Amino acid sequence: MTDAAARTNERNQIFRDLFSGKTPKRVPISNPATQDFAIQHAGLDLAECQWDLTKLEPVYDKFCQDFYTDTYPGGSIRIPSHYQILGSTPIVMSSSGFMQHPDVVGMLAEEYDQFIASPYDCIVETILPRLYTGFNGEPGKVAMTLAKAMRAQSDDLAYLGAIRAKMNAKYGFATMIGALTEAPFDFMADFLRSFKGISGDVRRYPDKVAAACEAVLPLMIKKGTLPNPSMLGYTFIPLHMAPYLRDKDFATLYWPTFKKLVETLASMGQNVQLFVEQDWMRYLDYLYELPENTIMRFEYGDAKVIKEKLGQKHIISGLYPVTLLQTGTKQQCVDKAKELLDILAPGGRYWWQADKSIIHLEASGPVVENLKAVLDYVHENGTY
Amino acid sequence: MIDLQVLTQAVGDLDENTILTMISDFVATNPSGEDAQKVVFACQQGMAIVGELFEKNEYYVGDLIFAGELLSKTIDLLKPVLSSVATQKFGSIVIGTVEGDLHDIGKNIFGSMAEAAGFDVYDLGIDVSPSAFVEKVKEVKPQIVGMSGVLTLAIDSMKNTVNALNEAGLRDSVKIIIGGNPVNEDACKQIGADAFTTNAAEGLKTCQGWVK
Repeated sequence: MTDAAARTNERNQIFRDLFSGKTPKRVPISNPATQDFAIQHAGLDLAECQWDLTKLEPVYDKFCQDFYTDTYPGGSIRIPSHYQILGSTPIVMSSSGFMQHPDVVGMLAEEYDQFIASPYDCIVETILPRLYTGFNGEPGKVAMTLAKAMRAQSDDLAYLGAIRAKMNAKYGFATMIGALTEAPFDFMADFLRSFKGISGDVRRYPDKVAAACEAVLPLMIKKGTLPNPSMLGYTFIPLHMAPYLRDKDFATLYWPTFKKLVETLASMGQNVQLFVEQDWMRYLDYLYELPENTIMRFEYGDAKVIKEKLGQKHIISGLYPVTLLQTGTKQQCVDKAKELLDILAPGGRYWWQADKSIIHLEASGPVVENLKAVLDYVHENGTY
Repeated sequence: MIDLQVLTQAVGDLDENTILTMISDFVATNPSGEDAQKVVFACQQGMAIVGELFEKNEYYVGDLIFAGELLSKTIDLLKPVLSSVATQKFGSIVIGTVEGDLHDIGKNIFGSMAEAAGFDVYDLGIDVSPSAFVEKVKEVKPQIVGMSGVLTLAIDSMKNTVNALNEAGLRDSVKIIIGGNPVNEDACKQIGADAFTTNAAEGLKTCQGWVK
């Protein structure tokens, strides 16, 4: 067995232990920097490289070499080609080259009943043509647009997959697979009604919001199902709207279908990783109710309180503030990592990730050196 | 005559039906510009209640967004009867989401609250370059520049914008406030802003303090 293959086995075992509630031999680490960061770290143009993926292999090689991580650092990528072909409005590229999700309206308030009656038909017939200009026009043209976009996406994913396989073979990362889905309420907000739209709907027609979340739940479960639940990996659910809701709206509109989603996925034998975005401290008792070993990557919160309330049952991650890497000294950055290790590692159930992804690199700034120092520190000192 | 106290409370409660009925009935009486001003003032006081409830964690961001929508509906209804009088303004603010960032929800909340509080708000939109900020500041000479962003890259763009204002010799003529998810005290210092906030109501208070 090669060294890299042995490292993969070792890392897979660490994650298998972690995800099943056993204490692994050390705290696993995922580099919070993304492909966007990697491209800038290699000194290349962000927009250009996302259009020409052939430039990416040396980018990833340098990225994997320079920063310690136990998992492949190429997750959660929005490739522009198929979005462009589809005429996407919900996912677009900004002037910096970073793909983003502006606040868009895919479904009008008067379309709730149509959606509730048949979410899939409503999405295909009404919502997609509104969000993607490529789905307007003659059926033949729309079919060609869809075919071109799907081909472009599958080519791009295959290319990125090949790079990933090469890096895994060279660096011995854990081989985890992932699926992605959203809480029903978040899906309604992010792609259908917009942040502004749903904020009004919650007050104007809460019953319809609740019914729509129930109606779309089966699609969210399907989207989040792994090809085989026994595979090492997890379903990633980035949470969005709960911190912006009043407690009673959360309890009646957000939580019921979100809980069913996580419970259903867990009952199939899958792990679920939540990105707990923004401030969920007033909802910790709810999170406690989720199935054992739900992975919770927190963006914000008091690490001690989170560990105390959730750390016996769930796997805690996140909380490391990446903005500190931009503004702090190397010592401050390492001290922060130590502080979180001391609080979160004892007793197990801790995975080192940061509070958010690092998507940008100011070449003259301290992020590269600070990030390296933190990753190395946790690698060398990450005992439970 | 419209009961201004009831209106203020309805705005505070975000009671859409009551607000819109009261305002429509009021406009139908063909009121004087002076009376219309009083109605605007009552709505502003209602928005102050909304801000207080937000600070007390009874309202959350979703409620602020809804409040902003209600307020702009209200102002639209009142416009025909307001046009005859000049509204008193407390100051002016240029706002925008900084270069590279497309997120505008926080900026829009702050913008509508600042407008409700009587500021002239010049909103440059999203992905705003440093030079666009500089041009607008030259043109309208605001007291305050508000920069917004959600992504961590916004920190660097904010810094570049402050540098551009400096180079144009405009930095000392304005107060600068930054807002959004990634800002904090360290970032504020590094960027060279005068204040930071992750809370639109608090940011508005800071701005009101500056123009007193």
